[in-house]
Amino acid sequence: MSLKYVGKNITRPDAIKKITGKSVFLDDIKLNGMLYAAILTPPTAHAKILSIDISAAEKEPGVIKVVTGKNIDFLFGDNVKDRVPMAVDRVRYIGEPVAAVIAENPHQAQMALKKIEVKYKELPVYIDARDALKKNAVLIHPDSADYWHLPGIGADGGTNIADHYLLNKGDIKKGFGEADLVVEGEFNYPFSSSAAIEPHGTIALHHEDGTIEIWSSSICPFVIREDIAHTYKLPVSSVRVHIPEVGGCFGYKSDVTIEQTVAYIASFVPGRPVKWVASRKEDFISTLLGHGIRTKFKVGVTKTGKLTALKTTILHSTGAYVDTGLHVMRGSTHNSTGTYEFPNCYLDGYSVYTNTPPVGAYRGYGHQESQLGMERMMDIIARKLGMDPFKLRAMNYLGPGKKTSLGEWLWESNGNVKKCADIVRKTIFTGKKKKEDSEYYYGRGFAALMKSPKGAPFSSKSCYLKFNIDGSVSINMGGAEVGQGLRNVVRLVAAEVLKIDPSRISVYMEIDTQFSPWEWQTIGSMFTMQGGRAVVRAAEKAIHQLKKTAMQALKCDYDMLEYDGDYIFLSSDPSVRVKVSALAHGYMTEDGITVGEVVHTTSDARLPRYSNPDANGQGSMGVTYTFGAQACEIKIEKKTGKIIVDHFASAFDVGQVINPIQIRGQVAGGVMMALGSTLHEETKFDSDGVCLNPRFSKYRFPTINDAPAKQTIEFVETPGKIGPFGARGIGEHPVIGVAPAVLNAVYDAVGIDFYEIPLDPEQVKAAIEGKNKKGR
Amino acid sequence: MSEKITFKVNGREKTVEIEGWERGLDVLRENLGLTGSKRGCDDATCGACTVVVNGEAKKSCVLLAKKLSGADILTIEGISQGKKLHPIQKALIEAGAVQCGYCTPGIVMELYALFNKKLSASKKEIKDALAKHLCRCTGYEAIFEGALLAQQNLKKKS
Repeated sequence: MSLKYVGKNITRPDAIKKITGKSVFLDDIKLNGMLYAAILTPPTAHAKILSIDISAAEKEPGVIKVVTGKNIDFLFGDNVKDRVPMAVDRVRYIGEPVAAVIAENPHQAQMALKKIEVKYKELPVYIDARDALKKNAVLIHPDSADYWHLPGIGADGGTNIADHYLLNKGDIKKGFGEADLVVEGEFNYPFSSSAAIEPHGTIALHHEDGTIEIWSSSICPFVIREDIAHTYKLPVSSVRVHIPEVGGCFGYKSDVTIEQTVAYIASFVPGRPVKWVASRKEDFISTLLGHGIRTKFKVGVTKTGKLTALKTTILHSTGAYVDTGLHVMRGSTHNSTGTYEFPNCYLDGYSVYTNTPPVGAYRGYGHQESQLGMERMMDIIARKLGMDPFKLRAMNYLGPGKKTSLGEWLWESNGNVKKCADIVRKTIFTGKKKKEDSEYYYGRGFAALMKSPKGAPFSSKSCYLKFNIDGSVSINMGGAEVGQGLRNVVRLVAAEVLKIDPSRISVYMEIDTQFSPWEWQTIGSMFTMQGGRAVVRAAEKAIHQLKKTAMQALKCDYDMLEYDGDYIFLSSDPSVRVKVSALAHGYMTEDGITVGEVVHTTSDARLPRYSNPDANGQGSMGVTYTFGAQACEIKIEKKTGKIIVDHFASAFDVGQVINPIQIRGQVAGGVMMALGSTLHEETKFDSDGVCLNPRFSKYRFPTINDAPAKQTIEFVETPGKIGPFGARGIGEHPVIGVAPAVLNAVYDAVGIDFYEIPLDPEQVKAAIEGKNKKGR
Repeated sequence: MSEKITFKVNGREKTVEIEGWERGLDVLRENLGLTGSKRGCDDATCGACTVVVNGEAKKSCVLLAKKLSGADILTIEGISQGKKLHPIQKALIEAGAVQCGYCTPGIVMELYALFNKKLSASKKEIKDALAKHLCRCTGYEAIFEGALLAQQNLKKKS
């Protein structure tokens, strides 16, 4: 297919506003009469509230109202309604709102907060799922079995298990019976923060007429709208949610979280907008955390390297509230096969309530956690079999004619992991590895990867497209631009279908549920695929409308008409034509009488036949996969144990590159983010559940000095059948293979297997020294 | 206690009333409506609040407001002229260094201060300046390339 616009670089439509500081982010919004909230959090993560004394705080200067949660009689949540906007009689995590002050300015609110006195009775604190699962553990949610939830998910009650998912494929006993070798391993991907540079925040306004208006730095305005409407017993149409420019998301600004808290606080001052923007500390402890996933692998394999069976246990410390976090666990569990076909699977996942901030979406959505285990296992198994790890992988790769754990057949159009693997192998493994010298050990490591969206069956993205009187086009959608560049995806795809230059297509710069077409939420690396398809559909409908009007203008049959971007013309005689601009608002005949419709269309697109799991935990729950491979060349400094990444290579089968400069940026940024997870980042808690490093100066966020000296980024383009022009998702995939590639390289360098991240230098140095001593 | 201070912002003299607790960033954003400087961390780590004070790149989130008295401040709002972008801004866009855009103004101001002081800054000096800024989107690759391109273009002009 020869493409004119798709695959070309164009400048982002938001670039100039962003680089001149004129883009409006949440904290840049000032509304008339606006008040500011400060929120009190507890000193310990799990406790009963005995009393709250707000009398002194109420007398502080500038204070309008002090709010507690003691009369709250509702729960909220999108998948499981297990959350309260403010603690009622107990706190379950260190960032839980206990009380709030509304004041004229943020400083006054903060000052008054210090005057609130709360008495607590401490309860045992569980940070790790393994502790929360112990016999006689105190229940963090004694009523978990009674919570409303979507069908097929949620807690049974009586334990701290918030959700259990089990996938059975084939016959696991038979599978292990056929194995010549069974290898086991345990891995850990600890808590960390998505940590966008823009902290999360919300403004809420309860109008005097009973309607509610919300502004949030969120990626799911429609989920917020529906959840808030449910809480306040309003028609959904009476809640309006605005999304301004969002300063990065990476997962944790999804789902409905702080919006409910700020809406609750604002409900005490109808008519006044209330703003709350997280401090960096609050962004760490009062929004969503990522990961917290321990995995156990048991793999059966024949002497010749054929994989026969996989048993995994995925243990997700889901934090104080599960809601959508359980889908991270479920995605992690059914994708724990990685890029390999196992005829027999027993994949067992648990989300367990613990006393950390709720754990939710983080770029990669469960995939990197379990594929860390699988890709390390592949290297370990190859070593035990005395086999080339590339050969072992190639023998077992998923691909055409193979079935995923979910029981979905794969086709050529699902992409080619082998091609991606060959690219990064050639990039990193050509030639001999550098030899150890006085300063460094050298190593090379590889990981293959895959990701499916882990969405919802009803997830769709909509497009509203209108032709203007000059033939230019305006497009409005509900997808949140968080930096990933979806606005240019929309423009390029629309330009291609409509055959007009992207400069004549303008796209939305904000989302407003009153005007934006519905979208579930902008997650799962699905916008290009679903949103792009919605654009194609809306554009084709518009061309159809233009032709219908042109039939009347040119007095001919529909099927004799063609469209070239500027004109509708008669295919048998192109000189008989009418300008698109003369059709956009209907066609005006010589006497002024106008015929035909105004050309504006709507459409949506969801993944075809996406389903809920069946009794075996299987079903059509992947639908689309992006495969890829990553590899790296590292060195380990002998003096310090520091791991330095000299060269990182990534290749993904994305079906079709839409915008080269943006896709490279997505991958380079994703690799860096996951290198942060692999080498530096961890959100740590003490035994009281107090966060030990809730600030950037203590949380080792990677800087330019941590970036790989070189990144090679390449794309395979095996067209898919769903996305626009064959394109597939790529937003999350770059983070998935990074940790295992680095850990495999560490083994290559020093012969030590690591099973947990982050790999800090002291740990690496100590392990090398331990090994050297033993060796003597 | 509130007090009045006078300083220059983007070439214009301003007098504002400040409270003792206010930081430079509060004054710029809240008192003067210059919201192009961003708050990301409160402990001078992320660099999103960086402005140029008397020729030096400073993190305004930790700068006491009263210290601005008499200072000459340049913010992101003062760096371009109408529709004419500064070469640093142009180069960063060209290199694809703008994604979510939240860290972008601070980085522009850091590079402005650096190249104004030393247009011949080495790659290491440029990296050291950029290491004062956190970016979650780009992996820094495009930002570094944009900085080098900006330097090249500024050199051509000078």
